[in-house]
Amino acid sequence: MNHNEQKICAVSEIDASCRVPLLALFGGAALWLVLGLALSIVASLTFHKPDMLANCAWLTYGRVQPAANDLILYGFCIPAALGVMLWIFVRLSQTPICLSLLPIVAANIWHIGVVVGTLVILSGGSTGFLWLEYGRGASVLLLAAFVLIAISAFATFGWRHHRELHVSHWFLLAALLWFPCIYATANFFLVISPVRGVAQAVIDWWFANNLIFVWLALVGIGTAFYFLPKFAGRMLHNHYLALFAFWTLIIFGTWCGIPQGAPVPAWLPAVSTVASALLIIQLIAVAKISFKTVRGANTQCKGGSFCFVKFGTAAFILSGIIFIAQACPQISRIVEFTWFGPAQTQLQLLGFFAIVMLGAIYELLPRIMGFELPFPKFVRVQHWCFIAGLVLLVGSLAVAGIEQGLKLSNPAVAFADVSNATLVAFRFSTTGLLLLLLGSLLFAANIFVMTAKWKFGLLKTCIAAVKAPLATAEVKS
Amino acid sequence: MKSSFPIFLAVFVALGASFGGFVIGAISQLGTAKQTEILNGSGVYPVQRTGDATLGLQVYRANGCAACHTTDVRQDGVTCDVVLTGMGKNLRAVEKVLGNFNTNELPKIILHNATKEAADAVSDQITTAGGQVETHIIATGADISRGWGIRRSVAMDFLWDYPVQLGSLRAGPDLANVGARLGNLNWQLQHLYAPQSVIKNSAMPPFHFLFEVRKLNGATLSPDALQLPLTQQPNEFLPPPGCVVIPTEDAKNLVAYLLSLRADVPLYEAPFTPQQTSTNSAAEKK
Amino acid sequence: MNDEISNPKPQTSTALTVPIWIIALMLTLIFLGGVYFDHHSGWFNPKVYAPYKNAEELAFYQPLSGPGQLLAMGKSKYEQNCGTCHGTDGMGKPGQAPPLAGSEWVNAKDFKRLAQIPLDGLNGTIHVKGQEWNASMAAMAAGLSDADLAGVLTYIRSSWGNKAEPVTADGVKSVRAAVAGKPAINGETQLKTISE
Repeated sequence: MNHNEQKICAVSEIDASCRVPLLALFGGAALWLVLGLALSIVASLTFHKPDMLANCAWLTYGRVQPAANDLILYGFCIPAALGVMLWIFVRLSQTPICLSLLPIVAANIWHIGVVVGTLVILSGGSTGFLWLEYGRGASVLLLAAFVLIAISAFATFGWRHHRELHVSHWFLLAALLWFPCIYATANFFLVISPVRGVAQAVIDWWFANNLIFVWLALVGIGTAFYFLPKFAGRMLHNHYLALFAFWTLIIFGTWCGIPQGAPVPAWLPAVSTVASALLIIQLIAVAKISFKTVRGANTQCKGGSFCFVKFGTAAFILSGIIFIAQACPQISRIVEFTWFGPAQTQLQLLGFFAIVMLGAIYELLPRIMGFELPFPKFVRVQHWCFIAGLVLLVGSLAVAGIEQGLKLSNPAVAFADVSNATLVAFRFSTTGLLLLLLGSLLFAANIFVMTAKWKFGLLKTCIAAVKAPLATAEVKS
Repeated sequence: MKSSFPIFLAVFVALGASFGGFVIGAISQLGTAKQTEILNGSGVYPVQRTGDATLGLQVYRANGCAACHTTDVRQDGVTCDVVLTGMGKNLRAVEKVLGNFNTNELPKIILHNATKEAADAVSDQITTAGGQVETHIIATGADISRGWGIRRSVAMDFLWDYPVQLGSLRAGPDLANVGARLGNLNWQLQHLYAPQSVIKNSAMPPFHFLFEVRKLNGATLSPDALQLPLTQQPNEFLPPPGCVVIPTEDAKNLVAYLLSLRADVPLYEAPFTPQQTSTNSAAEKK
Repeated sequence: MNDEISNPKPQTSTALTVPIWIIALMLTLIFLGGVYFDHHSGWFNPKVYAPYKNAEELAFYQPLSGPGQLLAMGKSKYEQNCGTCHGTDGMGKPGQAPPLAGSEWVNAKDFKRLAQIPLDGLNGTIHVKGQEWNASMAAMAAGLSDADLAGVLTYIRSSWGNKAEPVTADGVKSVRAAVAGKPAINGETQLKTISE
């Protein structure tokens, strides 16, 4: 066997070793994405017709909206991230996945945790803390599952053939360490042994920022820095600038997140403002690298994975700019406490992170399964559904937020008029959510049919093995 | 770079720094706070909420009220008013400073919306001339002009709360001072049951599951029964004929919590001069 | 993607370094951030909240007590510290403390003699409203701030029929400075030597 053939076999074997763990992660993730977007639509119904679900405590806005947000983050984003990270580690290490039982078990534990957490919120047991609503039981399950997967990823990393670190190794390894630290700390100081007074809010903001901004950026940019060079067929522009982007992200990004109007001493929002201003550096670095890596590439997009990752990276830059703007006191005076904040969060979660993960998943799925996507055209349809849906959702909420903020600053405008002015925007944002839901259904269709095909293929192999004629030697004896 | 040790170091340094600053720093500065004295007054602040209000906070949390309401008043600035309270013995000297005016109008604001330096200058002039003045410190800001509060919210306002429900979105009005400006029990219950009956075009969903509709059957009306408005035409909010609306324990606790929400006491960190009459506007402006 | 055959090693990049302009921009932003922090943060003071920029500005904007507030605060401090002996109605207690209602010492135009009594303490004989009193009083105002004592004195000088001028915190401060370290006043004669 010549060297090249050996290499090809090795790669397909490496990919196949990821099959079961990643399907366990992605299958659940697809389901939670669909469910999360559906619940978001249910939540937004309250603004179209407030008395629609008045009798049902489980479907009141204050329970459904946090449940939907958590489903998108903990149900889709993090499992998808873990799966993509595992695959990138496997590919960079060029060994099959290590301790493969751990991710399989952990994926199931994670999905059980998401179910438990969602039921806790809908039944009224939410902790009341942003992004930590799941409560004690579900949090323990999620943390345990994450740590198990991290162990497997670290082991795979440790077995790498080429010892030289890739840029993505920096981002993704840091992410594997980052989440358990912040999740355990936040749960300890808010749920297990709560601190007194407004310190709870400070720790909650610290956690939310480190998760939604820093952690999603670490994984998303790490993934983008792996895939963009491959799609473009060139090397990553400027390895050292990429590491600079990593360092500035974690050193400055971790200090953001305290709102300007918070009831806390002035130094807390001031530190966040300064840190947010310094994040401009990180955004410039990421923008330069992405732009230079992609520009002039020969490959066409055609609504495939490359498009997803490009759009996601652009959405990250935009989301970062909005995030920094919100930390500026003059701007925050107007847009704080308006729909502008949720617009930026949705842009970060769905526009940046979900899209980059989807691009990565569509790229790796055929490789780990060993056959092509059953509905390749759905990828392109989903691409356009997501872009249109995001423009409608984020754009309408952002415009509504600015209008709401300007009206709220004017004491002469009655509050009822302020909220009525934003109702028009909800028609667009709910339409946007419907488009996103459609896109996610197409994604789920691809994954589930692929899983079914594979399982059916396994079944056929089993039946064929049972029916096959026995070897002559055995028959004779 | 072959070793992964720098990555561990990077995470440890970066995350450890913000953990030290925001988590440990916040706990040591805010998490160990104790009650503080009311500015220029007697008593400590804040007092613990009553039992039903504390249970009401849990109802607030369970139903995610913080998803639409904030309890955080912001302040953009501070101004001073100078109020003449007495002419003293030397009327001529005071009138020389102020010009002629009707002394029956005391107390009278002689300087409005000024900086403290300007207020102090005028105040010194009048005091030298023998008159009596007071300098009033007034907090200003969009939230305050809207009547949502008299001063900004500070850490002391949330000392006893678990969980602290600050909120992050104002799909509904701010509630930091709702006990002071909308303090009617029946209004609050009615607003929970049928928000559109008290505020036209309200976007708030009705919380029917916090109430029970019971048939009257000739029995005496329960004192808990909700007094719904009978004058609106057509009145779709009324229960079917012969029925009354009774709030559940959760509703009563939640309203007790809402009525306990007030942040209208001056503190050292948020000073202002309390006025005799409430400066919060009436129920229409929310 | 053409990763399988053509690119066996993980991707490395060209030998570019971090551009100098981005480092310069970062240092500029760090400097500007430091200036912003200096102006807006109150330097970690837990009492300084926006819009106040530092502790000095916050202290500057503290409202001085108007007469109404002074009275309310003075009343509560009086009842906490003085009322046990002098009575919440200012009528005093026989054998324990002389009355304050109608007392010539309380109603005196100049408050300095009156202020020295709680600041310094009083032993020996004193005549109040024609009656002789021979109790001893500790320096009860040792733990009160200038503003608090001014409030108490203003309160007693305007309650129970007394009609005398209010006392300011600055006035209390000067008296306190004058009596610092001196022993308790011994009797009415020594009290009368204090200049009006």
